[in-house]
Amino acid sequence: MATKPDTIFRALDRKAAAVTEFTMRQYRTKISTWVVLIVGFMVISLLLLFYVDGMQKDYESIDNDGDSEDWDGDGYPTGQERLYGTDPSSSDSHPGLLVPPVEPDPPEKWIDEDDFDWDSTPGSGQTISVGYDDDGDCDRDDRTDSQKDSNDNNVPCDIILEGPQEGLNDDFTVEADNFVDEDPDDAAYAKEAIHRASVLAIGKLGFVFIIGIFVPLFLATGLIRDEMSSGTMHYMLSKPIARTEVFLYRILGYLGIVWPYLAILVFISAMVTGLAGPSDSFFRFSEFGIWLSVLFAAMLATLVYGMLFCFFGVLWRYGIILAIPFAAWELGMALLSMGVPEASILKFSVIGWALTIVDSAAMLVWPDLDLFIQMGWWGGGGDGTGLFGSSIEGTAPLTYFSSKPSLGSIGPFVSMLIATSVLLVQAAVLWLIGGILFKGKEIE
Amino acid sequence: MMPDFDQSGLPETKEWVPEQAAPVILLENVSKTYGRIHALTGITLSLSGGVTGILGMNGAGKSTLFKILMGKIKPSSGQVRLFGTNPWKNPAPYARVGFVPEHEKMYDWMTAHDFISTFARLNGLTRDEAKIEADRVLDFVGLLDVAHKQIGRFSKGMRQRTKIAHALVNDPDLIILDEPLQGCDPLARTTIMNVIRELGRMGRTVIVSSHILHEIERITEQIVILHYGRLLALGNLHAIRERLDKIPHRIDIGTENPKELAKSIIEIDSVHGIFFPQGKNLSIQTHNLGSFHSDLPKAIVKSGQKVESIDNPDDDLESILGYLTGGGRM
Amino acid sequence: MDGEDEIQAPAPIPIELGEQEISYDAEAPVKGKGRMDAAWGSSQGDEVNTAQVAPSKDTTGFIFEQVYQPWNGTLNPRWMRNWAILRHHVAGIFRKGHRPWSIPTRLFLVVVFIASLADVGLTLLSALIGSAELHSMWGVNRDNLYAHVLGFFPRNVLYFPIVAALLVGGVISEDRLHGTSALYFSRPINRFDYVMMKYISVALIQAMIVLLTLCLYYFSEIISMGRGWAWIIDTFPLFLAAFVGGTLLIITYTSIGLGLSSVSKGKFFPGIGLIAIVLGSKTLAIIVSQLFDREILYLLSPYDCLAHVGQAIIGTEPTYNQYSWTWSLASLVAMNALSLYVLSSRVSSMEVTRE
Repeated sequence: MATKPDTIFRALDRKAAAVTEFTMRQYRTKISTWVVLIVGFMVISLLLLFYVDGMQKDYESIDNDGDSEDWDGDGYPTGQERLYGTDPSSSDSHPGLLVPPVEPDPPEKWIDEDDFDWDSTPGSGQTISVGYDDDGDCDRDDRTDSQKDSNDNNVPCDIILEGPQEGLNDDFTVEADNFVDEDPDDAAYAKEAIHRASVLAIGKLGFVFIIGIFVPLFLATGLIRDEMSSGTMHYMLSKPIARTEVFLYRILGYLGIVWPYLAILVFISAMVTGLAGPSDSFFRFSEFGIWLSVLFAAMLATLVYGMLFCFFGVLWRYGIILAIPFAAWELGMALLSMGVPEASILKFSVIGWALTIVDSAAMLVWPDLDLFIQMGWWGGGGDGTGLFGSSIEGTAPLTYFSSKPSLGSIGPFVSMLIATSVLLVQAAVLWLIGGILFKGKEIE
Repeated sequence: MMPDFDQSGLPETKEWVPEQAAPVILLENVSKTYGRIHALTGITLSLSGGVTGILGMNGAGKSTLFKILMGKIKPSSGQVRLFGTNPWKNPAPYARVGFVPEHEKMYDWMTAHDFISTFARLNGLTRDEAKIEADRVLDFVGLLDVAHKQIGRFSKGMRQRTKIAHALVNDPDLIILDEPLQGCDPLARTTIMNVIRELGRMGRTVIVSSHILHEIERITEQIVILHYGRLLALGNLHAIRERLDKIPHRIDIGTENPKELAKSIIEIDSVHGIFFPQGKNLSIQTHNLGSFHSDLPKAIVKSGQKVESIDNPDDDLESILGYLTGGGRM
Repeated sequence: MDGEDEIQAPAPIPIELGEQEISYDAEAPVKGKGRMDAAWGSSQGDEVNTAQVAPSKDTTGFIFEQVYQPWNGTLNPRWMRNWAILRHHVAGIFRKGHRPWSIPTRLFLVVVFIASLADVGLTLLSALIGSAELHSMWGVNRDNLYAHVLGFFPRNVLYFPIVAALLVGGVISEDRLHGTSALYFSRPINRFDYVMMKYISVALIQAMIVLLTLCLYYFSEIISMGRGWAWIIDTFPLFLAAFVGGTLLIITYTSIGLGLSSVSKGKFFPGIGLIAIVLGSKTLAIIVSQLFDREILYLLSPYDCLAHVGQAIIGTEPTYNQYSWTWSLASLVAMNALSLYVLSSRVSSMEVTRE
């Protein structure tokens, strides 16, 4: 044919676009594509519904130190009596007898009266002093200096916070003076913790695992195999186009369906969690970064799995038999990465690398995440002082669904880069092997 | 071969220069075996220009031969050249080849025009060029008025013609048609035959396979006969026919009174022998089918008998193949 | 030469009619075993394009003559026809000449069968070396009977769902893809029997994996530890409960799998669909119960419903605390009913064509 001078667009309009476009149109005509996409949408919607419900729920505010109760029955809550220096266990001693007399506080005032004031995070191995006694029951005139400084750092009424040791899988160490930050706002903490855990769970297991593996299983396995077994591959292969190209462009067509679908779902999730999540303003913009990383990780996962399952399909008529145990393996690896993110076996999976991207982004967007989890475990006194001691609701799920990037201490940004390049290399290698295999395949 | 990343044109086809002197198709001692089954055995063949019919029964190796030519399967031994280039793992020659596969399965959800223009782009045409090209080829096979209907709604003949149109994109020099007439009604058959003849007249190399002699006879005179994977005969159909004419043929005539009819038929010179198999049947043997057929009507009229049927059980591919393979009788 | 009975013509060359028949099997009308292979084949048997070696040179001209020989037999009773279908499917696991299950499927079945015998082996081993500790870990008891059938890892991740997925993959969908269901329905077989026998054969093959190994486990304990009647009377109800649990598992997986198989054409979709339903719903329920402490989604997960019902009837410590096991049972019944409804409506409306 006579060729006119090629512009970029005209050039792109050739083989690649033709096969890609064709593949996308072919997907659109199959009912199974729509069933898979709709079921995926329903799964994410279900998770989001539970999430919205979880955010609407009122979390119980627990009086961790029990000072809202009136132990002696004189009408004054214990905290108030303690603040004014009267005897909380004697009904003959209460602030009402002071001059001028003090009105009794409602008991609610002494629930969640001393919230977290941990405004900075220590580096590894570093020790800093944080905390502020909001309700003033530590820094009372009738207490001695040594009573005010029970953690012996010469700062009255503070909390010693020690960063995790370099290289060790260590947590923060918290050592607090008595009556400092002892009754935090559990409801606010729980809401925030469950919100964060939900974002991570929906992102990591919902998108990167469930959508990321089952959509390619359904859509990519037959990408080439179906054409080969129905004989329609002949139409494409009797044209001057290399089979490696066909392989690549078919994958591009598959991605042309899957990636926009992921983008829409992630956008919806970001909207829902942004609007329903606990926030001072109307919308939590800060988490867009995490959702972007979820989208990115899910895109890479669908790319690698797509290449892999398509390769299985080319390899063998019963490629699905290889793909099914592989999917089960990846489920195991996904659950393992929740529990033991540093396990080296994860390096032999796809999902481990993809989840590293989300974990790294979580570290970048929420630099306080580790400390935040530690706060929850400490829970206003669970540091061994024996006073109160239990973790706050929402801490356990957050601990379960968050994990440190599996690459150790090289920093979140670098681990994200490494994970991305590993996934891209996996995809490229699979394409190359699949292409070579396809090239040498006899097609009946 | 690296894919066409930059999409700037057609690297493979640009680099690929067909050998000028080489025949369009060259097969040298090509064999293909599947385990102990020999699908093709030592085929040596060279074709250039014109329409060639490949005749053979089911399983004779016609489709295997085409698949080898199209680089779909690799010959077990021997050399294959398309325009002087080995097609295995090398799609470059297909820029000048059109292929009509035997499979019935098509993309039923596409319109004929979409189907052809989409795949035309794989030849390196742009979207606009592909649309013009699709119109051209659909017009050529006479489907322009239904070009925008879904292939799924097409009749068998229309589907076959769509496949042919698909193969004609980019005006290939070599067109390979695997059983293009299979399952078509007489009208579609005639149309397709006209298309094929027209292509041959335009100087393209066309290869058509079939297992029905009459079909091939109406398209071309140059035939290749494959039998059980072997090249049995090659050349002009008339030459082959002539040799066949020297071989006794059988003609069955159904009539009320075979003996009366036999009396006048025996007077025809070319008759070799007459049998009365059973009932109302008359079985005649002849060495020269052509002259017998021209004399037969007169003989029937002369006898005044009523003839119910004239059957020529030998005149099909199977019996011809039988004679051709029939040892010393050739 | 006047009209005689036989008119002599110069040197007639005799032609043998219909004596030697050469059969051309590729793409030709298939018959006998060839047809059976095409009909039952899981591979695309009817598209195999085999060719034959040329016959010896001295074959004479051959003219095809067909002799129709009417069939004078009598039709066997219905159960015998059904038995033939069942046997065709089940025997295909063991030897050639029946439904050709793919080699990897059969291989996987063997591997899973052996892996499911792990506790049998360990029970025998503990009896052999007389280790009470090993026996308390692997011998027959309430928890181990439960775990043999319904334990999550590895049995209900890697073994049973995958076996079910591989089996249901093509059972109905391939018939639809290749149009071989027409071969069934052109015989005096009604559709109910057709589906029923496919269902039973798939369930039977799974029963060999799940229930046969359970029985072996129980008997190995009796034999190796020399258990008496008192022990058997004590533990038999547990064994029976585990058996019922395993039966429920097989029925549920088979119903869902065949339901999926009847709505699709390929062999990929039903297999992946079953895996996606079993493992996907489980993962989803884990997420929700971890995050929000809500177990309600376990009702959507076939495995968890089975596990809950199994825990109730075997009597192990329940791991689902927020609702009664009867809900799980109701959910199981609903899942089976829905799948069977889909299956029956799809099969009864199935067009007998090659799709």
